[in-house]
Amino acid sequence: MNENDAEIIEEATDEAVEKGLERLTSERISEVINQVLHKETGARFKAYVDTCMRCGLCSDACSYFLSNDRDPRFSPAAKVKQTIWEMLDKKGKVSKDFLRRAVHIAHLECNVCRRCSMYCPFGIDMAYMMLLVRRICHKLEITPQYIQDTVNSHSVTMNQMWVKEDEWIDTLQWQEEDGREEFEDLRIPLDKQGADIMYSVIAPEPKFQAGLIYQAAVIMHAAGMNWTMPSRPGWDNSNMAMFTGDNEISGRIARTFFETAAKLNVKRIVMGECGHAFRSTYDVGNRQLAWTMAPIEVVHAIEFYHELLTAGRITIKEKFSKKVTLHDPCNVSRGRGLHDMARKIVAMTCSDFVEMTPNREHNLCCGAGGGVINCGPPYKKERMRNNRAKAEQLAATGAEVLIAPCHNCHSGLEDIIHHYNLNMEVKFLGDVLFETMEKKIYRPGE
Amino acid sequence: MGNEASWDWNTDLKEIPVEEWKERFNWVEDFQISPDGESVASIVNVDETAFQVCVNGEVWDNAYEKIWGLKALPDNGFSALVYDGEEWTLARDGEEWSGRFDFIWDFQVTPDGKYLGLAFQKDSEYGMVVNDLPWDQTYTNMAGMTLSDTGTSAAVVQAAPMKAADVDSFKEGLFSVALNGTAFDHTFLNIWDLSFDATGRRLAWGVRLNREAYTVARDDIVWDRTFQGVWKPVFLTPENVLAPVRESGKWKLFRDNEPFWKRGYDQLWKITLSPAKGDIAAVVADSFGKWTVAVNDRTWDLTCDTMISDIFYSADGSCLAAVFKHKGLWNLSVNQTPWTLFADKIFTPGISPDGSLVAVVIEKQGKYHLAVNNRIIAGDYDFLTAPVFSPDQSKILVKGIEKGIYKRRILSV
Ligand code: SF4
Ligand code: SF4
Ligand code: SF4
Repeated sequence: MNENDAEIIEEATDEAVEKGLERLTSERISEVINQVLHKETGARFKAYVDTCMRCGLCSDACSYFLSNDRDPRFSPAAKVKQTIWEMLDKKGKVSKDFLRRAVHIAHLECNVCRRCSMYCPFGIDMAYMMLLVRRICHKLEITPQYIQDTVNSHSVTMNQMWVKEDEWIDTLQWQEEDGREEFEDLRIPLDKQGADIMYSVIAPEPKFQAGLIYQAAVIMHAAGMNWTMPSRPGWDNSNMAMFTGDNEISGRIARTFFETAAKLNVKRIVMGECGHAFRSTYDVGNRQLAWTMAPIEVVHAIEFYHELLTAGRITIKEKFSKKVTLHDPCNVSRGRGLHDMARKIVAMTCSDFVEMTPNREHNLCCGAGGGVINCGPPYKKERMRNNRAKAEQLAATGAEVLIAPCHNCHSGLEDIIHHYNLNMEVKFLGDVLFETMEKKIYRPGE
Repeated sequence: MGNEASWDWNTDLKEIPVEEWKERFNWVEDFQISPDGESVASIVNVDETAFQVCVNGEVWDNAYEKIWGLKALPDNGFSALVYDGEEWTLARDGEEWSGRFDFIWDFQVTPDGKYLGLAFQKDSEYGMVVNDLPWDQTYTNMAGMTLSDTGTSAAVVQAAPMKAADVDSFKEGLFSVALNGTAFDHTFLNIWDLSFDATGRRLAWGVRLNREAYTVARDDIVWDRTFQGVWKPVFLTPENVLAPVRESGKWKLFRDNEPFWKRGYDQLWKITLSPAKGDIAAVVADSFGKWTVAVNDRTWDLTCDTMISDIFYSADGSCLAAVFKHKGLWNLSVNQTPWTLFADKIFTPGISPDGSLVAVVIEKQGKYHLAVNNRIIAGDYDFLTAPVFSPDQSKILVKGIEKGIYKRRILSV
């Protein structure tokens, strides 16, 4: 372990955490901890606590552990030991310094990627344990500032970035106009009742990357899809509340999302390239509301592009020739097994592909997901240090272009590339498809 | 509506060819059909950045740079949001409002068609405008715009400023409800689901007081009890408010701060009333993933594993229809009896006033069909819109597009 590490770990002071800690009393701390650990958990939690033998087999699975020279404090079991076990041992009577460290571990030293659970002989889900710690932090009001702000935004606007309702529609209309450079009659149909598909995105798209909406519209138009986008809240499929343990807001976001689709009477929802939003809609947000599964089918962009290409609705003019590699986002790969489909799209659109190692469900996480990047600028340096293993993995590919079909991964990987001076460009699968596709409208039978 | 008696219930078929619009204009957008079925309209592109509204083949006089949100109105006219010279306004049957805005959206109409409401933004300030009369006061942020059946308007507004990522100010509670533009006194952490009473004068809403405490406010006065969650409240009478709230991990129906239904559910929402019979219905999950309808706290015998999207009472309260999805297909259940539609899409059902007839448009494999009392009576349309029963309930008005021709049909039932 590097001697400076302890300092570095604590260097980022987060006002929301500090002010939150100031407000707390020891009674409140133990009340919340005991309530969450004893009233909100069940057999699964007890099994995890009772079964973990602290054998450390999961340690090498964690990119935080690997990036920090195998510092034992970063092993998955140690993260639980430093948080939940201690809370249980002390019956919730823990200090503010303990909590400051617990917030940090749960929000910045684990991106709830679930890689470790694949290596645990008992399949213990450390991500679940860390999310419980985050739930405690949420109730104690010591969640880091920037991610809390995204949840605040969700709670008011039902989108993650305070995108105002008029800005959203205006952006869609502006992208529609721009898209008419490709196809003069291109539309982004708003609120089209009975369309087959509702297309949904995450708030960073209208805010910073509106060009992605333009690309999606061109792809939809060329493929001849009967699609729509909602003008009203419910368009954002992201869910940061899921990552701060604000389960109630998380449920409200998921309800708004699915009811928006149900009101439009669409058959299915196609979503852009986002990993966590996918997890929220097919696994977490729906369950909060007593829906065992997504009540309206949610199709990730990877599945959708694959469908368009194999059905011949989109054809490739000329394959992308630069050397590319592919990052498997945990939430769509480990979580949903879409990695082979992603490879098929790469094979159909790119001529020079190199795997990174490890890959598919064993891929190392980008280090940004699970809400880590959303904790914001105060933690960027630390995030870069915790991403060393990922940087080494990327460098070893020798690829010029890194395809990452997930927004968080995308931003996180861009930071890594910049920080470690890797000469790579990050692209979405949609970018590659847009660049290589034939810009002509699909007509059945042609 | 309510003037159905004056509609033409005798002509079996009227046709308007719409396919040829595609030749006339660069492109034709989505069709809207008037309630009486006499008019079909669409936004059409006439030049590079020039749009018009085409109604039965005739275009409105003015062309605009942008048009969206075309709506058929209860009086059988059409309205749309139009943009020209960097300003937005509403045009009703081609006549523009005098108000001009930087943006308008969330177009709402009262059931009688007397009031048209919009959200507007002007100089980065937000408010609502009803029948061309904008709110006197405007706000830096606005959400949850609601137009009552009597034309009053309300929204959640931001009452105090907040800097970027300012979680401290947020924690203090920045939001209030504004009724007809005037904000109530209290500010809350969050406000959702504004709900008017029948007169449009009283308002209830769901609030979050702090990270963990949720409750209901009626005319800005909060209930004493707090809960783990709250969904949209509903006025049972002008004095009484019902709301689904979560307590000890279960969803329960409360009335005015007190438990009302006895049972707790895994989910409970979409409170729907039958004023005629005094019944209260809701969509509930009996247990995780098991959806049904509860009427007066007694659940239906219904198997539904996916979703119940909505429930509807007939005017006399004798019929309750639920739109539900089971094993991936949509269906309708009427008074506990599931139909056999198994559709890919199902639209809002229409119920005759005495509850004896239920009609619904469905889509199966890309074709639209009309079912009445679980029997398909018209089919293979490319598009169908909500059917209407004649006042004597002997006929049904079917409005749809078939092979490029809009058809207004009267069928006997
Ligand atoms: S969930 Fe991922 S980041 Fe968290 S401890 Fe496990 S491997 Fe490490
Ligand atoms: S979580 Fe599993 S692998 Fe990791 S220390 Fe515990 S028992 Fe061992
Ligand atoms: S951002 Fe991407 S790689 Fe990272 S946790 Fe999410 S899905 Fe995983």
